[in-house]
Amino acid sequence: MVLFIEQLVNGLTVGAVYSLVALGYTMVYGVMRMINFAHGDFFMIGSYLGFTLISSAFLGRTIPLWVALTIMVLFSMGGVGAIGIIVERAAYRPLRKTSRLTAVVSAIGVSIFLQNAVMLIWGPRYRAYPSWSVPDVTWQVGGIYINLMQVLILSISIGLMVALYFFVQRTTVGAAIRATAIDHDTARLMGIDVDQIIRLIFLIGPALGAAAGVLLGLYYRQIHFTVGWTYGLKAFTAAIMGGIGNIPGAMAGGLLLGILEMLGAGYISSAWKDVFVFFILILLLIFRPTGLLGERIAEKV
Amino acid sequence: MKGYRMYLVLISLALVLVSALGTGALGAGKLDPIRIGLQAPITDQWAYEGEMAKNCVQIVADEINGKGGILGGRKIEIVVGDDQGSVRQSALTAQRMISEKVVAVISTYGSSVAEPSATIYEREGLLNIAYGATAVELTERGWKYFFRTCFKDDHQGTFFARFVNGTLKVGNVAVLHDNTTFGKGLAEAARVSLENANKAKIVFYDAVTPGERDFTPILTRMQKTNPDVVYFTGYYPEAGLIARQMRSLGSKAIFVGGNAAINDEFVEIAGIDVAKGSLTTQEPLPIHLEFPESKGFLDEYISRHNAPPSSPWPVYAADALKVIAAAIDSTGSTDSKVLADYIRNEMKDLPGITGPIGFDSLGDRTGAMYLAYEVTPDGTLQPYQPYQP
Repeated sequence: MVLFIEQLVNGLTVGAVYSLVALGYTMVYGVMRMINFAHGDFFMIGSYLGFTLISSAFLGRTIPLWVALTIMVLFSMGGVGAIGIIVERAAYRPLRKTSRLTAVVSAIGVSIFLQNAVMLIWGPRYRAYPSWSVPDVTWQVGGIYINLMQVLILSISIGLMVALYFFVQRTTVGAAIRATAIDHDTARLMGIDVDQIIRLIFLIGPALGAAAGVLLGLYYRQIHFTVGWTYGLKAFTAAIMGGIGNIPGAMAGGLLLGILEMLGAGYISSAWKDVFVFFILILLLIFRPTGLLGERIAEKV
Repeated sequence: MKGYRMYLVLISLALVLVSALGTGALGAGKLDPIRIGLQAPITDQWAYEGEMAKNCVQIVADEINGKGGILGGRKIEIVVGDDQGSVRQSALTAQRMISEKVVAVISTYGSSVAEPSATIYEREGLLNIAYGATAVELTERGWKYFFRTCFKDDHQGTFFARFVNGTLKVGNVAVLHDNTTFGKGLAEAARVSLENANKAKIVFYDAVTPGERDFTPILTRMQKTNPDVVYFTGYYPEAGLIARQMRSLGSKAIFVGGNAAINDEFVEIAGIDVAKGSLTTQEPLPIHLEFPESKGFLDEYISRHNAPPSSPWPVYAADALKVIAAAIDSTGSTDSKVLADYIRNEMKDLPGITGPIGFDSLGDRTGAMYLAYEVTPDGTLQPYQPYQP
């Protein structure tokens, strides 16, 4: 039982990271009906920006941990958000009137571009966050070991997700985002600046991905420029699992995926874990083609 | 229109002049260079290894060229092909090497990666010498054109068993591999040797997936079997994470890596607090090589790149080039068949950077040499000294 709960905590930690990344996929899909295959790379750049900041003399060991962490997360969220807006302007907006497939190809191009840019800037080697970034503190709660980093990941990501949920559901701008997701033209007739909303989506999505990237770097400490692909694929799966286009769905999908992975690896076999996860995904899609929380959306003709 | 044509004529004239000058300036006795391929992971996850191999090979090529080249003054030109450490890319790179018409190929790091390219080189009859492919099965297929300057894994597995029983003297051993040709081969070799020795017991034997970051589930299961020693036979990106996650699960077992697991990056990923005291079974590091050829080579490498190669592999690539050059020079031929016959049957004790080089009938290098290393508190590798009271 203790073992089971330990695996569950591990799964939730990884799952929270998947959720944050999955949100980017799902928001872009919701508003633009397009899969942004470069999203995993935003996540990867986030972890590199955090790495640069924490290994710089500025953040060194001079200021308290929580201040350093806040600066790091905000800095890479801002940086990657800016990159997101540039990418949208340069690679997606010119293609918005063409077929969706064109945009997907463009997204793959962006992904390759970003990966190689990072490889050239930071080098092809694995980079590691310094070992003092987060102290190795472990608590024992009822026989279960939980460390500081797991608590940080869970609280930061759940905090961000709750904030996003209220932003989308409770504010005027959130209402505008939801309206744009339903129909661009009608939204425009209602006086919503659709371009502005899309720009906003490309700020929020990549910024959340960047936060996940920093957290991942702090947790495993090891980062590499190819990490975006692996995590992008997992997060994309999570978005599908939860019902793509649905924000709470992406959160639930990410957590579920993380837990399934850990249970698969812990109780079946580490090598067969992905087989297990995708088998569950297939089952889920057979019985609920729209994903866990996805609603049937009428296809636009 | 007329001006345009005039312009074209001028350009053609200029081109003719340049090419004439070119050949003239280079001299009539100037011969075509001998092109030798280097297939290595220049980018992607093993880029680090690929880059060092390129550096090493270049030093040997420069050295040979500086002494006037081979075959009566022909220079060596290295053609680099990037296989990205991927099985798929490896086959494509091999095709490219063949269309580039190289004389022989130094190829490559990673047994799974060497397999597809070696198959293609064999089919096309092109001499290829692997420098970081140690899986036993590679030389068991009767390939005529495949050689390796590195040693194969069963030697290392035997060494590990001897080391566990003779030096560490512990009871419970956990073996983890990563399902690659190399990782699995070494793990199997270690398992067989341990079982034959019948002293230390294997309490856990399983595989992880390369590219993963979270190994806690499998390590939690491993931890239940109370191993004294954990032998991981995969590569350093996973090794660093495994060593670290093992510690945070409370394991006190000695972490021993195979010969691809421990290097600078391992120390960086695991963090020095975890990495120190980890052991590795491996070929001697370049800085611990004590052969006549080693010193000059290392000095040159350090003067060019500020640090010695941090893993043993790239130096085997340098030796592979020495083997090819020596074979071409002795036979006076660039025909792969002639070269392969010579290397297999006649090459004896060629002075290499990693010691005297000779090959057995399978194409394996003779005279294996391994050492156990320990990661010191300052993050460097030192030959392991068992604690003596």
